[in-house]
Amino acid sequence: MKKSKFYKILIPMILIFSTTVYSKTFTDQLGRKVVISKKPERIVALAPSITEIIFALKEEERLKGATLFSDYPPKARAIPRVGSYVRPELERIIALKPDLIIAVKDGNPKEIVRRLEKFKFPVFVVNPVGMESVLSAIEDIGEIIGEKESSEILVKDMKERIQKVKTVVSQVKVKPRVFFQIGIKPIVSAGKNTFIHELIELAGGKNLADTTISYPRYSVEQVVKLSPEIFIITSMARLEIFEEVKAKWSKWKHMPAVINDKIYIVDSNILDRPTPRMVSGLEKLVRIIHPDLFK
Amino acid sequence: MPSTLKKIIIISGALSLILLISISFGLCFGSTVGGFKSIWESITGQPQSDPVMVMIIWEHRLPRVMMGVLAGATLSLGGLVFQALLRNSLAEPYILGISGGAAIGAIIGINLDLSYFPGVSLCAFSGSLLTLFFVVVTSSGGASLKKDSMILSGVMVNAFCSAVIMFLISLTKDSKIHNIMFWLMGDLASTENSQVLLLLSLLTPCFIILFLLSHYMNLLLMGKEMAQSMGVNVNVITFILLLVTSFMVSAIVCYCGLIGFVGLVTPHILRMILGPDHRILVPATIVGGGAYLVICDLLARAIPEQGEMPVGVITAMIGAPVFVFLLKKVR
Repeated sequence: MKKSKFYKILIPMILIFSTTVYSKTFTDQLGRKVVISKKPERIVALAPSITEIIFALKEEERLKGATLFSDYPPKARAIPRVGSYVRPELERIIALKPDLIIAVKDGNPKEIVRRLEKFKFPVFVVNPVGMESVLSAIEDIGEIIGEKESSEILVKDMKERIQKVKTVVSQVKVKPRVFFQIGIKPIVSAGKNTFIHELIELAGGKNLADTTISYPRYSVEQVVKLSPEIFIITSMARLEIFEEVKAKWSKWKHMPAVINDKIYIVDSNILDRPTPRMVSGLEKLVRIIHPDLFK
Repeated sequence: MPSTLKKIIIISGALSLILLISISFGLCFGSTVGGFKSIWESITGQPQSDPVMVMIIWEHRLPRVMMGVLAGATLSLGGLVFQALLRNSLAEPYILGISGGAAIGAIIGINLDLSYFPGVSLCAFSGSLLTLFFVVVTSSGGASLKKDSMILSGVMVNAFCSAVIMFLISLTKDSKIHNIMFWLMGDLASTENSQVLLLLSLLTPCFIILFLLSHYMNLLLMGKEMAQSMGVNVNVITFILLLVTSFMVSAIVCYCGLIGFVGLVTPHILRMILGPDHRILVPATIVGGGAYLVICDLLARAIPEQGEMPVGVITAMIGAPVFVFLLKKVR
């Protein structure tokens, strides 16, 4: 009698305990609480940057869906597509039977997140807006997919490399004026609230697009007046176009960047995707802006 | 009379059958799983039916297909009514400035970061009503609503709105531009069953009213004086037709964005096949227009490998050749 009563209490307790042990609540970067009941095995990434982070954590086996333009590393192209990051396709996502969906605040429509939650899929939203939040986004993603340790190692490595750059740059006395050109027609640069701005400043440069508008437009006159010492042109324009743009700027013979032949092309994806490659981007920028520190 | 009634029933019945077939295609096929077997299994509640499949069909494809039916029906019927009302075969549902006003409202709503429903939808709706009010007020110079002045006002208002839209887009932040572009191209994807039901309840009375007035549309086409001599109170009828049609088109636009081409081409195609009697054409455009958009939407989402294309692309790519073909045949 006593024994069966004991079991009547014990067994429900075990059941309750087991579900609570596996059911974990995580808080994402928007303060939302996301509950998952087991380690995610079918992850869908709603942005190329998230795909990169998951590959960097070496968990690509569990990545079942990614958006168009998820092109790094090259293996990522084989992951089934779920639409683009500004327009994820609900049907393709649902058909992959995800147990975790990772979204980004800037870019993914709120509507999609809402509807996915209505379908009872857990959606974890990250909001990387600067170097700090990129590092914590990588840690958060690592934690929720059950790879906390690898993400901490990855972030530690990134922090060390950033610190190295900071140390080197601290010796600098003069910050060269940098114009970072993202758009060709119209001429678009990156303003104060962008990664690119933060990286330029960290790399010891002065971003000439000194405005709160994220992607301000400039006329040729305005750029010439700013008198940049270094031109960095994004490789979203292909190489032929880069040569054309370089030739165009080279006509302004009195511009410091032209005099010193400091017009460079850089792969934009390593500078504006909130991923571990940002640190490589930073290192590349430092070498462009302060080549003398690396002699 | 009875023979017309018989005709209406037969033709509507035939087109309804086509509509039902289109709907079942729309539910069975899409960008992922497909096949008639799967939908039959999920209807009959077979235990082996994949729950994800069931979810896709009933929670995702069903509202989308139903919205396609409602949008196709509304836009085609709207085109039909405006073509009769304005006695102009180039008339289409957006001609009286509804599209311009709705777009401005939607862009403002998207920029303010409102949710699509009700936020952006309400903004779009108010925008369209404002422009409509403006068009009606500026074109009703005398005691009657002159049809040419309405078209001209509508075209001018749309042109002005286009300029405002370009201006607003130039001010918009990058990430929001995509949302705006997709809204402008028309999109049936962001719907849920509850929204479909709401829209159905708003649109059904409109369809009924327009069907009851279809006889008057026939008379209006004969010319204003002729219609008046036959006892038609042209002003009242025109006003009601205008109001009801604009309301229903605005309601659809604020949910689905600006799906183009359906409203212009389906009435013409049906008129070429079925003749000019509006008593037959009104139910025909409702059902036929619905079927057309469902098929176009299915093609738009099922064909491309990398991601669906805007439904407006398919409606034009299919509609234009069919129209030209029929035009040559009728000649």
